[in-house]
Amino acid sequence: MAEELLEVRVEDLNVWIGDNHILKDVYMRAVPGTVTAVMGPSGSGKSTLIRVINRLIDLVPGSKVKGRVMIGKINVLESDPYMVRRRIGMVFQEPNPFPHMTIYENVAIGPRLHGLAREREEIDRIVEWALKKAQLWDEVKDRLDDYPYQLSGGQKQRLSLARALALKPRVLLLDEPTANIDPVSTVKVERSIIEYAKENMATVIIVTHTPQQAARISDNILFIYEGRVIEYGPTREVVLHPREELTRKFLGGEV
Amino acid sequence: MILRTGISFFTDTPAYPGADEVGGIGPSLLGTMWLGIVSTAIGIPLSVLTGIFIVEFRNHKLAKITKVFTHSLLEIPTVLIGMLVFLTIVVPTGHYSLLAGSIALVIVMLPYTMSYLERALDEVPRTYKEAGYSIGMTRKQVVFKVVLGIAKPGVAAGLLIGVAKGISETAPLLFTIGSARGDFPVSPMDLGKPGDAIPLLIFQFIQSPYENWHDLAWGASFVLTVIVLVTFALVKLVVREVKL
Repeated sequence: MAEELLEVRVEDLNVWIGDNHILKDVYMRAVPGTVTAVMGPSGSGKSTLIRVINRLIDLVPGSKVKGRVMIGKINVLESDPYMVRRRIGMVFQEPNPFPHMTIYENVAIGPRLHGLAREREEIDRIVEWALKKAQLWDEVKDRLDDYPYQLSGGQKQRLSLARALALKPRVLLLDEPTANIDPVSTVKVERSIIEYAKENMATVIIVTHTPQQAARISDNILFIYEGRVIEYGPTREVVLHPREELTRKFLGGEV
Repeated sequence: MILRTGISFFTDTPAYPGADEVGGIGPSLLGTMWLGIVSTAIGIPLSVLTGIFIVEFRNHKLAKITKVFTHSLLEIPTVLIGMLVFLTIVVPTGHYSLLAGSIALVIVMLPYTMSYLERALDEVPRTYKEAGYSIGMTRKQVVFKVVLGIAKPGVAAGLLIGVAKGISETAPLLFTIGSARGDFPVSPMDLGKPGDAIPLLIFQFIQSPYENWHDLAWGASFVLTVIVLVTFALVKLVVREVKL
């Protein structure tokens, strides 16, 4: 499969949920092969932003979106959401592997759904590959038929990551993926994300509320506060020499 | 009682009133079985689809109406449901039938299965639906592969409870199946014909002045109890919860 490079570009994005103006004139750019961190205090609209990118925002009653979200050459907001989501993987804050499916089935479901692989052997290969990429393979290779409840929270989260990776998404979105898991799993998830971005020239966007995580794993940082972009730039610069007072305060833990 | 007659209790037809032997509940047992099968076959897809409609399209006006309607079915005396089916099916077709009885039972079952189903479907956390959509599932796939998959134990329990409720009802059958114990449907092709059911047999025989029919009714009561208990045991068995 030819590796397509898909840049994500958000322009003049405004989102309302009911009467609340959640995102105001937001812009950002995420480049293939890099990790972009969306950083900001809780309630700043970070999760909403990435849910616009894969149109999960459609599920939120009373939501209204204006602006442009380009993935490669297509405007996501004017496309078929189901087609869009096939190319975009997502990992959520709460680990959510499907509880009624085995570990194996959780990873195999995406490829099966979209007919990426039909032969059992082929699917086996994808499952193994995805679980390895998510740094979970060694822990589960002997119990692929177990159910997710037998895993720890951190393992569940890596399983959710493997489920997303199995579709080899060109864009990977992560919504505070390590907020609820143990430190060891956190390190593994972070390592997987960086590796996946570099090895596959994928575009990775991760929402985080800790500046430390943003500093550890991202190439670029977007700092959002109360629905507005406050600062956007290369991670080093934003962290070491923030231009805005608000960014400085957030990094110092004051906001 | 059953020990006295042995296996023939389950296969024979009832003896004549006042006879020395009691005979058996064969036609009624078979009828109850058919009623169970047919009402399940109609009731399950109907309940599941209605349940999904109510939960997944909860803001739709028709869904709200359907919800109120199915819930209010619970309050309608089952004897009136029997009357309704009598007027709409038995009278137009000109005769009683097991099929008409099955439809009456479906109407009785529906509010029970629905309340379980609604809760089971409602309790599926939103994050799993999001996960389904995020890997490119359509709404239909999310509903059938994710929501229904996770809610399966609750759904199965609701359906079994509905069936148990249905087959132990008497009133909806009074004017619908016609208590035929001589010439009764055996094959599925005959379901358009009148038949009998255990609750109906109990209702009618226990009021008769004949000792042997009383005995038969008591035996039948025991069988009905066992059937219902077994169904509830099945519920316990299938409701292995999906652990989150």
